[in-house]
Amino acid sequence: MNTLSDRSRDIGEFVSQPGDEMIICRCEEITKGEIRRAVHEGMFTMTEIRRYLRAGMGLCQGQTCSKLVKGIVARELKVSPADLEPATSRVPMRPIEMKVFANENEDEDE
Amino acid sequence: MISYKADVIIIGGGIIGCATAYYLAKNNISVTVLEASDYIGNGGSSRNGGGVRQSGRDPRELPLVMYGIRNLWPHLSEEIGVDTEYHQDGNLRLGKNVHHREILQGLTDRANKVGLDVRMIDGDEVRKIIPYLSDEVTVASWCPTDGHANPLTTTLGYYKTARKLGARFYTGVKVMELRKVKGELRRVLTDDGSVFEADQIMVAAGYESRKLLGSVGIDVPMTRSLLEALVTEAEPHLFDQMLGTADADFYGHQTKHGSFVFGGSSGFEGFNKDNCTPMTSSITAPAICRGIMKYFPDLADAKIVRTWAGWSDKSADGVPVLGRVEEVPGLIVACAFTGHGFGIAPAIGDQMAKLIMSGTTDIDISALHYDRFKAKI
Amino acid sequence: MYYLRYMAGAKVPLSERNDMKRYDLIVVGAGPSGLSAAIEASKRGVKTIVFDENARPGGQLFKQIHKFFGSKEHKAKIRGFVIGQQLLDEAGKAGVEVVLNATVIGLYQDKEIVVKTGDTVHHYKGDSIIIATGASENMVTFDGWTLPGVIGAGAAQTLMNLHGIKPGKRVLMLGSGNVGLVVSFQLMQAGCEVAALVDAAPEIGGYGVHAAKVARTGVPFYLSHTIVKAEGTDHVTGVTIAAVDDHFRFIPGTEKHFDVDTICVAVGLSPMSQLLKMAGCRMSDDPKRSGQVPIIDGHGETSIPGLFAAGDVSGIEEASSAMIEGRQAGIYAAEFLGFISKTEMDNGEEKLDAALDGLRQGMFAPKNRGKNIEKTEEGIDISRNLLCRGFIGDDEIERFPGVTHKAGVHPVIECTQNIPCNPCQDACAMHCIMVGKVITALPAVDPSLKCADCGMCVASCSGQAIFLVNEDCGDGTATVTLPYEFLPVPDEGTRGRALGRNGQEVCDAEVVKIRTSPAYDHTTLLTMSVPKEFAMKARFFKANA
Repeated sequence: MNTLSDRSRDIGEFVSQPGDEMIICRCEEITKGEIRRAVHEGMFTMTEIRRYLRAGMGLCQGQTCSKLVKGIVARELKVSPADLEPATSRVPMRPIEMKVFANENEDEDE
Repeated sequence: MISYKADVIIIGGGIIGCATAYYLAKNNISVTVLEASDYIGNGGSSRNGGGVRQSGRDPRELPLVMYGIRNLWPHLSEEIGVDTEYHQDGNLRLGKNVHHREILQGLTDRANKVGLDVRMIDGDEVRKIIPYLSDEVTVASWCPTDGHANPLTTTLGYYKTARKLGARFYTGVKVMELRKVKGELRRVLTDDGSVFEADQIMVAAGYESRKLLGSVGIDVPMTRSLLEALVTEAEPHLFDQMLGTADADFYGHQTKHGSFVFGGSSGFEGFNKDNCTPMTSSITAPAICRGIMKYFPDLADAKIVRTWAGWSDKSADGVPVLGRVEEVPGLIVACAFTGHGFGIAPAIGDQMAKLIMSGTTDIDISALHYDRFKAKI
Repeated sequence: MYYLRYMAGAKVPLSERNDMKRYDLIVVGAGPSGLSAAIEASKRGVKTIVFDENARPGGQLFKQIHKFFGSKEHKAKIRGFVIGQQLLDEAGKAGVEVVLNATVIGLYQDKEIVVKTGDTVHHYKGDSIIIATGASENMVTFDGWTLPGVIGAGAAQTLMNLHGIKPGKRVLMLGSGNVGLVVSFQLMQAGCEVAALVDAAPEIGGYGVHAAKVARTGVPFYLSHTIVKAEGTDHVTGVTIAAVDDHFRFIPGTEKHFDVDTICVAVGLSPMSQLLKMAGCRMSDDPKRSGQVPIIDGHGETSIPGLFAAGDVSGIEEASSAMIEGRQAGIYAAEFLGFISKTEMDNGEEKLDAALDGLRQGMFAPKNRGKNIEKTEEGIDISRNLLCRGFIGDDEIERFPGVTHKAGVHPVIECTQNIPCNPCQDACAMHCIMVGKVITALPAVDPSLKCADCGMCVASCSGQAIFLVNEDCGDGTATVTLPYEFLPVPDEGTRGRALGRNGQEVCDAEVVKIRTSPAYDHTTLLTMSVPKEFAMKARFFKANA
């Protein structure tokens, strides 16, 4: 679903707001202000926000914050949250220890 | 549908395209970057393991990467306004046996021949640098001037600063064809019927470059393979070096955040299929974990939070295709980085910008010319 | 238990392990929809295995200690955890294999999954897969939302109802949907105080009856309010709320403060559709379904053939619809795999379709979400007080067909919104109560018929909205029998105060009768004596301190 996006289009200036210091991504402690500022620096998608700020890269992989981040980014871009691309989900669904992931127990009993 | 004219069009919004756009915009050249996906840096740029290395490189690209490490990487963070997390703390390639020693010795000798400081060290010296490595490590090659950085912030940092300096970026624009006008390359045709026009056009579109270049009669012999990587949760700080192994079991480093980023292989990289996300294979991450634990038993309990995959665009001879294409005036190519385009990207961007602005580069890139591919007999 | 053959770490003979690798059907999630799917598929001969990351099966079902709504086929008036147990028994009889403590960490290409059990990972392939992973709680931000003590309402429910732990002593609930209302009540049942129930919206989002049973105990509702700040340094010690205007901005001067140690957040659920996303299913961000859901056809099949989704993961509704969707998915999978014919499939799902359709009616139906409904289907004005303050006004209650007057004990049914639900009708052996064929209809009482004062209607109403009232006992008093689900149960003779629908004290009251019965299923019937002028006002009892 690739639609043309002009990254230089006018989305207004970044203006500090009360509440900018509120933590949104708890795992990585990213604030609302950081997210809003990142949008104005050119990060127009959930994926770019995540890679730029680490919001959604923590232990919960965005399960707690992604809806919140989406709302903030959408408001900054003046679009509906449903217009924003969803962030990608990847293996593993839950954090898994290296030694467990390495242990593909094919033939033995436990 | 747009009809648009710029001085320079860059096709491909990865780090190569963004870096070149930055160095051009910095010099007031009007540049437009066209990215087919919805994201800047969505290919190898955001998926690689973050290595910034000279060791192990083909001599044909060594001068470029050394130039970048000497002149560009050290102050890159301030220049592009992000924390690139660049560390120059050296690169260790680990070995456990005689066979590994041979491989590493060869690598060391080749490096020394071209004036790069790489040395062989024994297991005890390795553990003086990183105490957490397994006792089974008996030898390593050590390159003190190699390092690592954060590919995500570096790529987006180039993008953000180029954009601030006036470079125009469009995502969701798929270029279908290049078109000459009166013998010179001037036009770019996209999937929605738009036509972009420029005096010079750079193709830095990864694997897609091949099809695009084909439309103006140029072929870059490339294939690609699907590589994978993984990342752990934040761990207490263990080491700053970039790591690899003689057997290529894994490679990686510990990030500023504390997480470990590791890549590795199952052996099937050339055959892995994708459902277009790009998708990981069920057997690779376990194999990477086993590879890591052979050298880092202490990491057994580190929790992996994410795995991902990325396409590596492999040129037929292992080094990129770079520079002007004389038979298509106005065309510049920068693609097929064969899995090691990140560390060299600032130098590429800087030099391609110079090439576009002045017609020459500071560093001799003739060995990476597009028409070097000849039959074996 | 026959079906729980494999617990984490159990030793399994090698010969069995080898043929375990590939299944006709893999179900991810042993909640109501997953188990229901596995049951229907197994009954048709499909070799099925279910994986669940929890230590117990049943998903959210076992946390639901309240009686469900609907009709008999929807298991109305049965408590959630009992329905869960019935489902488990049915699964056992159908020979369904459930592996617990088994986290599906990845859904790869070619319908392959990797499952973590204990210290190992295993690869499984399914000819078909049903993803029934349910949903997770949303969060809302406010100053102090990251303090310990701010928890999801669902998390509070897990603590209380699965683990027997009080989430806190004094709680503020944010959110007036069914989860917020139901969990508020359960917090009180667990012995917590609920200081207030707050919602930024101007109207309550959940069923009026759920709100009413909370409001009558004295919990104040603050609609058009939200949290300004949660106070505390390392845990919640208090909270300030304030009124909001049409644009959800705080109105200065309307602040109210509560000393609480817990803030429960009940602001909706989002489907946990990550497995479907990583497998490459086409997804859509659908506000009507509350988040990222797979695009599915009428059979629950995603864009990947043989990969199905059922229950909350395909759109937030509730347990009753999840179970029906699950059963349907199991039947569709059986047809996909060739175990049943298309005709057999159509026959099987016809009844289920009707049952599902029956649930999706009335004021709270998905199709009516977002609509401003002012009158019931019968043309009666909906109680505005109920919507905005959580209780029916004394001047509104007479409108409704469940409220009639006669001499002697008779039922007074304060059910005032169209919800698909009718256990009250079947409960009355004297046929005093009528709902009718369309089960969203408001229950009506026929005053010409005699009431046996058996109490079954009071106990059978999942909304706790039925009272037995004798408006004039002849001695200046009236009696009101109400459903009582708190501990300790007051003794007969206990004096106290009666509370009105709005939770305010209205008069003195004395407990004259306590009735319990297995038929009431843990709902105690408390009869209190009040001055007769309060017969239509007194609706809850509070003992003197």
